[in-house]
Amino acid sequence: MTTPIISVTDLRKRYGEIEAVRGISFTVAEGEVFGLLGPNGAGKTTTVEILEGLRNADSGTASVAGIDVARDPTGVKRRIGVQLQASAFPEHYTTKEVVELFGIFYDRTVDALALLRQVDLADRASQRQEKLSGGQRQRLSIAVALVNEPRVIFLDEPTTGLDPQARRNLWALVQSIRDRGITVLLTTHYLDEAEVLCDRVAIIDEGRIVALAPPRTLIADLLGRGFTKPVLQQQANLEDVFLDLTGHELRED
Amino acid sequence: MRQVVRYTAMLLRAYVRDRSAVFFSLLLPLMFMLIFGALNLGAFGHVTMGIVDEARNADSRRFVDQLAGIGELTVREGALDDEKARLSRSERDMVVAIPADFRLAPPQPGASVPTLLVYANDGRAQQVAVGRAILQQLIAETSFAVTRTSPVVQLTQEQVSAVRLRYVDFLVPGILGMNVMQLAIFSVAFALVADKQRGVLRRIMATPFRPIRFLTSQVLLRLVLSVIQILILLGVALLVFKVQVVGSVLDLLVLTTLGSIAFLTVGFTLAGWAETVNQVPQFFLSGVFFPTDVVPPLLKPISEHAPLTYLNDAVREVSTQGATLWDVRGDVLGLAVWSIVGFLLAVRFFKFQTS
Repeated sequence: MTTPIISVTDLRKRYGEIEAVRGISFTVAEGEVFGLLGPNGAGKTTTVEILEGLRNADSGTASVAGIDVARDPTGVKRRIGVQLQASAFPEHYTTKEVVELFGIFYDRTVDALALLRQVDLADRASQRQEKLSGGQRQRLSIAVALVNEPRVIFLDEPTTGLDPQARRNLWALVQSIRDRGITVLLTTHYLDEAEVLCDRVAIIDEGRIVALAPPRTLIADLLGRGFTKPVLQQQANLEDVFLDLTGHELRED
Repeated sequence: MRQVVRYTAMLLRAYVRDRSAVFFSLLLPLMFMLIFGALNLGAFGHVTMGIVDEARNADSRRFVDQLAGIGELTVREGALDDEKARLSRSERDMVVAIPADFRLAPPQPGASVPTLLVYANDGRAQQVAVGRAILQQLIAETSFAVTRTSPVVQLTQEQVSAVRLRYVDFLVPGILGMNVMQLAIFSVAFALVADKQRGVLRRIMATPFRPIRFLTSQVLLRLVLSVIQILILLGVALLVFKVQVVGSVLDLLVLTTLGSIAFLTVGFTLAGWAETVNQVPQFFLSGVFFPTDVVPPLLKPISEHAPLTYLNDAVREVSTQGATLWDVRGDVLGLAVWSIVGFLLAVRFFKFQTS
């Protein structure tokens, strides 16, 4: 493997009594889609926010695109794109203006329409950002994450709260970003999402990595240990029924 | 610098589209001023006097004309019933009835002198008092003229204040001060804390945009808005209400801008500290920023050094006493100290996200 684009060694972070991250280590290769999985409160978001330069770790080291996050958080921010959980864009701007605004923050001139076209939002360019649907807003935040032509983008629970159509649409978008050679680190608690998108996943629980491998390997390992599902695996599930009945077409108006 | 200018321009664009912000910072103060103006609080020392002239002779005409010539009085003539009705509707402050036997002649021994009957509007005691004083004065002057005597004691009055000021002349500096404060503190604190709660500031801080540039742009925007607000309010005060500014209008602009900076730094300190918008009013209820005469003695030193106290004092001195910036240097220094301390606190303690 060549030099990893993200490398994390023994990262720890404590909030008062709670130890959110207890010694996490992993690396991500350039061009990979890497998933951090885990139940709520497992430490995914804290780990990602440390990598994004938004929080300081108590100990351990993290580097992104060859830059030590603790030493030069601004340098890291300049090279990554982010989509944060529980964040919002400033109000009273159109979709296009939001992209331009973030162009100002990165101190570069951007072709906002071209970026919106990449996330299929060009027809919403002059619409107020507040009026976008959930799926459209997630796509806008991906367009914003691409403003600075990053080498890595961080997506924190990008599909939470979206309907099945919008989720699938976002998956396609993530795959197109990966196809352009951009490394993607995403967190999710949807396992089907990880299975579809991720080259490798790390499963985190109570601040520790409990498994790290490609999804297929993890499944094969489990089966290899003699695991069988108590119920017969169906050839389709309820989501397939839902999509069959309602189609893959996006509903956003 | 280019980044700061570009971001400030974007902030201005959003501000203009934010109807509630425009309403609270520009229209509301304007409405305040118009309402105060319409209520005619400016006509504080002005008396509307109804005259019922039942004598209708040369002497009564002379007397009424003399009254009409007095600047503080608006004299209206009418029939008794009509004037009394107007009095009860507060269209008159007082009504004076001149009896049929009114004449200006030396009194005959034993005979009674004509008696003016005054109907007073008890809701306008102050105006009535002024009107009575004017009547007494005119009666005395007329008496001396008619009896060809001189007063035994004379009163001379020296005009101390060169310009006659109305209530509105005192009111406007106060409105200016309050508005500068409300825009600088309330609007900054509410807008920024709301953005903080929604995670907007966190999102911005995930970019390489430097916090100092962010704060500078926000301060610049508010400073631009403050100056526009002051210009509009001052313009309306000067042109519509003919408010007299004894000192220099430029000095007023300098002072209010300095006041804005002081309040802005306080507003940013508050916005940096507060985690929810609910904490903003709490801070104000503490009373630190309201200079008041009824504060407990213990808090008096604090209220005396509140930024609004400095600003109001200085603006009032310039506007009503014709003071120069040098004359109010103590207040200017006070505002400068607040600005510096506020700025240091804001930079040191500004938190971009809720914990």
